[in-house]
Amino acid sequence: MALDRKIAYINLSTREVEIKPIPLEMRKKFIGGRGMDAYLLYNHAPEGCDPLGPENPLIVSGGLLTATCASATARTHVMAKSPLTNLLGSCNMGGFFAPELAWSGFHHLVITGKSDKPVYLWVHNGEIEIRDAEYLWGKNSTDTQWAIRDELDDQEIKSMVIGQAGENQVTYACVMTGIKNAGGRTGMGCVMGSKNLKAVAVRGTMDVKIAHPMDALEHNKKFIDQITSAKVNQIQGALGTPFIWGATNCWGGVRTRNFQYNQMEYADEIEPEAIDDIATETIGPHHMTGCFGCQVHCRAQYKIQSGLYAGKYDEGPEYTSLGAFGAEPDCKSAETVLTGNHLVNQYGVDNLEIGSMIAWAMELYELGILTQKETEGIDLRFGNDEALLQMVHNICTRTGWLGNVLADGGIPAAEKIGKNAFDYLIQVKGMNNLHSDERATPGLALNIATASRGSDHLRSRPAIDLYHLPEPVLRKIYGSPVPYDGPLSSEHTEYIGKSWQVFWQENVYMAVDCLGICKYHTVFLGATLPNFEDWPKVIYYNTGLEFTPKEIWDAAERCNNLERLFNLREGLTRNDPKKGDTLNHRYFDEPCRRGAPDVIGKKIDRDKFNVMIDEFYDHHGWDKEGVPTSETLQRLGLENEPTRLL
Amino acid sequence: MAEQQRASSSESLRSTRTFGKVRCHNPSCMGRLSPSPGSKEISCPTCGMTYRLFWVTPELPRIRGPVWDVNRKLAQDTLAKKIGTSDSDSN
Amino acid sequence: MEKFLTVDADKCTGCRLCEQVCSVMHEGVSNPAKSRIQVVKWEQEGVYIPVICKQCEDAPCMNVCPVRAISRDPDFGFMKVDQEVCIGCRSCVGICPFGAMGYNPTTRQVFKCDLCGGDPQCVRFCEVNAVEFVPVDRVSTQKKRRGAARQSAAERQATALG
Repeated sequence: MALDRKIAYINLSTREVEIKPIPLEMRKKFIGGRGMDAYLLYNHAPEGCDPLGPENPLIVSGGLLTATCASATARTHVMAKSPLTNLLGSCNMGGFFAPELAWSGFHHLVITGKSDKPVYLWVHNGEIEIRDAEYLWGKNSTDTQWAIRDELDDQEIKSMVIGQAGENQVTYACVMTGIKNAGGRTGMGCVMGSKNLKAVAVRGTMDVKIAHPMDALEHNKKFIDQITSAKVNQIQGALGTPFIWGATNCWGGVRTRNFQYNQMEYADEIEPEAIDDIATETIGPHHMTGCFGCQVHCRAQYKIQSGLYAGKYDEGPEYTSLGAFGAEPDCKSAETVLTGNHLVNQYGVDNLEIGSMIAWAMELYELGILTQKETEGIDLRFGNDEALLQMVHNICTRTGWLGNVLADGGIPAAEKIGKNAFDYLIQVKGMNNLHSDERATPGLALNIATASRGSDHLRSRPAIDLYHLPEPVLRKIYGSPVPYDGPLSSEHTEYIGKSWQVFWQENVYMAVDCLGICKYHTVFLGATLPNFEDWPKVIYYNTGLEFTPKEIWDAAERCNNLERLFNLREGLTRNDPKKGDTLNHRYFDEPCRRGAPDVIGKKIDRDKFNVMIDEFYDHHGWDKEGVPTSETLQRLGLENEPTRLL
Repeated sequence: MAEQQRASSSESLRSTRTFGKVRCHNPSCMGRLSPSPGSKEISCPTCGMTYRLFWVTPELPRIRGPVWDVNRKLAQDTLAKKIGTSDSDSN
Repeated sequence: MEKFLTVDADKCTGCRLCEQVCSVMHEGVSNPAKSRIQVVKWEQEGVYIPVICKQCEDAPCMNVCPVRAISRDPDFGFMKVDQEVCIGCRSCVGICPFGAMGYNPTTRQVFKCDLCGGDPQCVRFCEVNAVEFVPVDRVSTQKKRRGAARQSAAERQATALG
């Protein structure tokens, strides 16, 4: 059998390691990767557990297709209860870690307990060792990785590490691998830090079996062609994810000055083409790098050209760094974007969250809610590049009153700052939004409001909605594998049919995360990229498992419901402004003031938004409060969870 | 496993890909614009929005950003009409 | 016409798809440790270099083999290991100046690039053309053209600056 795959349970308190095979029937129900992680979290995290306590399980995984002969199976998924949201914590990163984990003989690691001193895990060809990491403590994310390679004398080791932000338990610290691959959202690096776990180092030379190797090889060629021939991926392969900036900032979808504007005007210096011009080793067809097995190669490489960090090599910046160090704090300098991107990579902190937190603090400062007393002399106004970068340092090292407060995350910080600071925090479920402004795009607004890990664009965003696709094309995509004959609209400023699109995207992204492949290889930014109908062959040739498109859909829906059950158990309610499926009041109250003529004046209509949420729940088989009905749980075979089969 | 020869939805939509064009970014407009090869700017004949272009390959243009002075004026006129104020503190 | 595998490391994105498809093609498994091509990386600097067998004319692997298991394929010109004869002594692994000879701990024999019998999968899958399979008479003409273009561009830039 091709699928002799293993899970390991590691208890850092008792230093016990247990290794088990993963039963095949679990694959049919939860596929792997994020879906299986959701099962493990729901089963292993005690209800109401302290996210920074020893009982919170940190689950690290590759997907069903990881390291097989399928395209871009590079993604690592990490799950735990989040210290940022106190709900589902979940992050996903590219690079080379998950395939190496697979070649070392494991597909899932469940790490519980807490070590009394810094340690790292050494996972090597079927064996797991807990090793001393005191000499690594205090090192940044890349130095940590190189030091482990030197210590173990193997330059092929891939490590998932935390930087100083994770050690200092910044609640939105990342896990990192390679130069810049980051599992950024929901503070999984903070959970690692709480366990005194500095790194998971893996190296494997074991086979990942392929059920039908020559078929898999031939099919992969065809599959890759479908992916790389798409315009969106050709642009991405030349400019990286910042390519999204051009369009979004044209029409007015870029959150600027926290949430004061929806467009950053005259910001030509941070356009990806401009960064390509000023940095010698950056964006451009021959300065791009790829994750494992991926021909899209969307990661840019650069050297900082000027300033304090001149000469430093790094990767990126991604689209999100343009927002975090450009639009949100209203800084227009490429040097600042490149430097900020470098700092977050080195400290190991979520660029989206830290950029959003600082921009929020800047608005509070300009409103007088924060003063020079709290900032300890920092002139935290918008457009102050120096103050922005200083705050990155202060948060990651928990320096100063404000740095320390902001390191705790938005909701606790709002409570400590007091007054009406919370009103200005652009968050959902305690996690801040990226620099996108969804006031003109109800479908995208529904996505961030209902995403299972808090405000997030990678859980259910119907991004192709922005392309004004003709209705027959939308029907072709959104009408399969489950028939849908309800309304759909090409107008992305409309509310019509968006609840279905978000529901469909939620399932497609879950499926991708279960398979362990990248979202740029499915219907995310390109309408003609593979989805449910394309995966059965890939799965069959590589693993021998037979799935129909509908079975993949069902499994994705099942896993999404498990995440929902976890969130409900941990306190999610529909209208809770801090833990619900809600948006900041500014989405409903403040109209867009910039961008394309048709975007100006747009804001989200409260009533229509509520109807969309009702519809969205209805598609899931959830009641008006967003709770899965008993029929839904039975339909998905979840009525007896937790079942503790793994 | 049953061999399915029927094209999947993504494969069948491949023929709908268009090259050499960009779309106007005004939501109700979204008209396809065909820039002449290598040109640096293009205006939408319908709504007047004007864009700077970047050519990824000689066949693949993309919108790099707005021509600010043109689009900003359109935005401010619309803002004044819809909300009755101008974007005064805009920098 | 005899063909060579050539590497242009400047183009390599470091994705290692070549390693994946090579091991699937030859061993039916995904395992870079069993791939005939390997991408060596200096991630700190963003340098990725695919390392392949050069099919040397005066091949040390052939010369060192005590049982004459390695010989040149008469049709395609690559150095071939006769698995019936190989005794797994790894002398060739030790002597290859490029590290291009591998040892398979499962079969306990050595392995090396066989150009996939004329259709190298690494080349077929590499869309940035960091690895190419070119006729022997074109190897240096292509390099000349690229080198000349680089030099000419540099000269134009220098003139502009001057």
